[in-house]
Amino acid sequence: MNNLTLKDPELEYRDNKISARGVNVSYGETLAIKNVDVDIPDKTVTAFIGPSGCGKSTFLRCFNRMNDTIDICRVSGDIRLEDQNIYDRQIDPVQLRARVGMVFQKPNPFPKSVYDNVAYGPRIHGLVNNKAELDDVVEACLKRAALWREVKDRLHEPGTGLSGGQQQRLCIARAVATAPEVLLMDEPCSALDPIATAQVEELIDELRLNYAVVIVTHSMQQAARVSQRTAFFHLGSLVEHGHTTKIFTNPDDQRTQDYITGRFG
Amino acid sequence: MTDQKSTAAVPAGGYGSDAAIARLKARRRAETRLKAYGICAIALAFAALGALAWSVVSKTATALTEHYVVLDFEIPQEDVDPDGTGDVAVIGKANFAGITKDVLKARFPSATGRKERRQLYDIVSNGTAYELRALVLDDPAALRSPLNFAFVASDVADLYLKGVYGSFVEQQRPPASALEVTELETNTWQVTADAPVFRAALGDLSGLLLERAERLRRQALLQENGRRVFEERLQAAMDEAERAEYRKEADARAARRDQLTEEADALVRTSSEGGAISLDRSMPTLVVRVGDDWYKLAEVQDNQATITALSAADALPGELSDADWTFLVNSVPESARKISDLQAVWLEDLKSAGSVEKRYNWRFFTSGDSREPELAGILGAAVGSFWTMLVTFVLAFPIGVLAAVYLEEFAPRNRWTDLIEVNINNLAAVPSIVFGLLGLSVFLGFFGIPRSAPLAGGITLALMTLPTIIIASRAAIRAVPPSIRDAALGIGASKLQTSFHHVLPLALPGILTGTIIGMAQALGETAPLIMIGMVAFIVDTPGGITDSATVLPVQVFRWSDLPERAFEARTALAICVLLAFLVAMNALAVFLRKRFERRW
Repeated sequence: MNNLTLKDPELEYRDNKISARGVNVSYGETLAIKNVDVDIPDKTVTAFIGPSGCGKSTFLRCFNRMNDTIDICRVSGDIRLEDQNIYDRQIDPVQLRARVGMVFQKPNPFPKSVYDNVAYGPRIHGLVNNKAELDDVVEACLKRAALWREVKDRLHEPGTGLSGGQQQRLCIARAVATAPEVLLMDEPCSALDPIATAQVEELIDELRLNYAVVIVTHSMQQAARVSQRTAFFHLGSLVEHGHTTKIFTNPDDQRTQDYITGRFG
Repeated sequence: MTDQKSTAAVPAGGYGSDAAIARLKARRRAETRLKAYGICAIALAFAALGALAWSVVSKTATALTEHYVVLDFEIPQEDVDPDGTGDVAVIGKANFAGITKDVLKARFPSATGRKERRQLYDIVSNGTAYELRALVLDDPAALRSPLNFAFVASDVADLYLKGVYGSFVEQQRPPASALEVTELETNTWQVTADAPVFRAALGDLSGLLLERAERLRRQALLQENGRRVFEERLQAAMDEAERAEYRKEADARAARRDQLTEEADALVRTSSEGGAISLDRSMPTLVVRVGDDWYKLAEVQDNQATITALSAADALPGELSDADWTFLVNSVPESARKISDLQAVWLEDLKSAGSVEKRYNWRFFTSGDSREPELAGILGAAVGSFWTMLVTFVLAFPIGVLAAVYLEEFAPRNRWTDLIEVNINNLAAVPSIVFGLLGLSVFLGFFGIPRSAPLAGGITLALMTLPTIIIASRAAIRAVPPSIRDAALGIGASKLQTSFHHVLPLALPGILTGTIIGMAQALGETAPLIMIGMVAFIVDTPGGITDSATVLPVQVFRWSDLPERAFEARTALAICVLLAFLVAMNALAVFLRKRFERRW
């Protein structure tokens, strides 16, 4: 089945930013991800959908090695970011995470000012040489996250004082401040109201022009709205992977069909 | 199926049944009872705290002020600097204690005997001569000019002036009562009045006599019991020698019994018939004051008394008019106070001459320990505490915090870290004296750190404080939400950067609170410091961490053990100072928590 999706000719037409082959993830004795192969094309939004506990978040966290922070988590298989195995000994996960940014389910700005939230990444990675450059980067990132207009007068107020949607966009600005190539989003809208969700979705659509975006979502409508690719996970396996329109209109697998029509999940 | 479920969930008899209502009531009662217990417990705790605070604070009253005896005099130059050199070395060697004594002798020329002189010198502190010396050394010109110098009163004089040993209270007497004076022998006179001028004091005295009589009767009863025992043995005795011995014992007890009974009867008679009561040391002191001269009553009845000179410069005239004399009573007997009648009347003289001055006891906060309570202060102990706490903080805070960061953020979870965790928790419960033993054998014995030094004390207390700091810091670090760590790691911060840029600043209020609580605990610690010799008598204020020093709680412990009554109030005041430090530290902890606490 997985091999079938691999051979989908439509997947090959763009550069693949990330290619994962035979990925297994286990928490202690439990196997959470079973032999998954996926390609993430550049400048495209790829959505991971599936019922709760199917392993889509776990799989997403493999791309920037966030699973390393969990003691009992073991990852095997081959995940390549532009032909470089990210689990290679020579790869520093710290460097990797600057290249593969991540936005989490709950907005988690640092309890610092808006400015410092965005400036933190460039500072620790030495991406800027002076204050003026840093100011420019912060402004550019906040603009990219469609937040500049709202916060330009309160850059030095705490980021935790913003509304939920603004906080999440601040987190996106913070993630893009390290100039990443890939943006991972783990259910970025699940803690937001519909208006904030719409704003973030609009933003994701813009971000697609510059980054490979991978988004995990529970909302089928959201996947359909923002993504060009969709991967459906079920019980730790990748069931189907392809064009969003195809997955939602004419899925190959009965389980996909059942899930998107709301029979289970 | 849903129907079945709902019927099964409804309690037997339904929600409205009597049984259900009774159950509900029982539940409410249980809740009310629990609340009442809680309120009782808190009230009890507050009452205990209030009692503690009151008992300590109320005792400090006499330590807050000190008395000075201010006298005008001139330092005879020939005693200090006979050649008029003005040389500090010469002046410094002079006998200022002798000069002080001369000044006192000049003030009370009536004190002539050796015993009286010694009592006179005891009304000012031993240390006051050093203050006089310091004054002269500072300003040698003082030698050639009249001085108005304040001598520190001795501890007993100070306590007397504060009323701890009672005071002489003038008694009411009938109007226009002149005294007729007859000299019985040298320094002893009989005074007689037309009116019952001494009656005011007699009521208390006769009560005292009856009490004494009662005590004598009880003793007589004991003698009677003893006599009876020997009487019985006499009956049972077999041989003649034994019998004679028992008879002797029984007779002796009978005689003693009769004597005691007779004494008791005499006392009762005196008290009821208004006969002359002779006064002794265990009775209130009754005096007649004539100007600056004091006469003590040796025997008293309604209108007549035998008086002896206590402190008298002038001869007593044949008659004292009503305005000439006053009758005063100090109801605290001489035997119950550390100050003699003579010293007391001298102080009364000084007081009425305006030579007694009361000042705030700043000395207590600006001087070190002393054997003399009136000179003792807590500055040395406070500075010793400061150095000790400094060493403790410098060692315990970084080590504790870094250990906590390592254990929480970096260490793998395995059997070893579990073992370490258990051991840290156990260390927090180890009695502090054990740390003292460790300090004694390791720091003093093995490393040779000087005894009694804040360095040794600080290291020992740091060991004791470490577990507290580590536990508090770990809890504070654990309380930082993982989302912050994810956020930092997610944008490529290393583990170290995550810990020090994000986790530690957020955990810092909790860490500081724990540290301050631990430090407060260390500040109040006595036992381990006694083990490493910080209990020594040290007068100097320590200038560094290797000087001999003592600390506040040890100072309290030492003073509480001393017999001088004036130390009682000073101990209480030292406790207050210690408590003030502790309260300040806890307030700082609360402030830091409130100020820097962040909520998510």
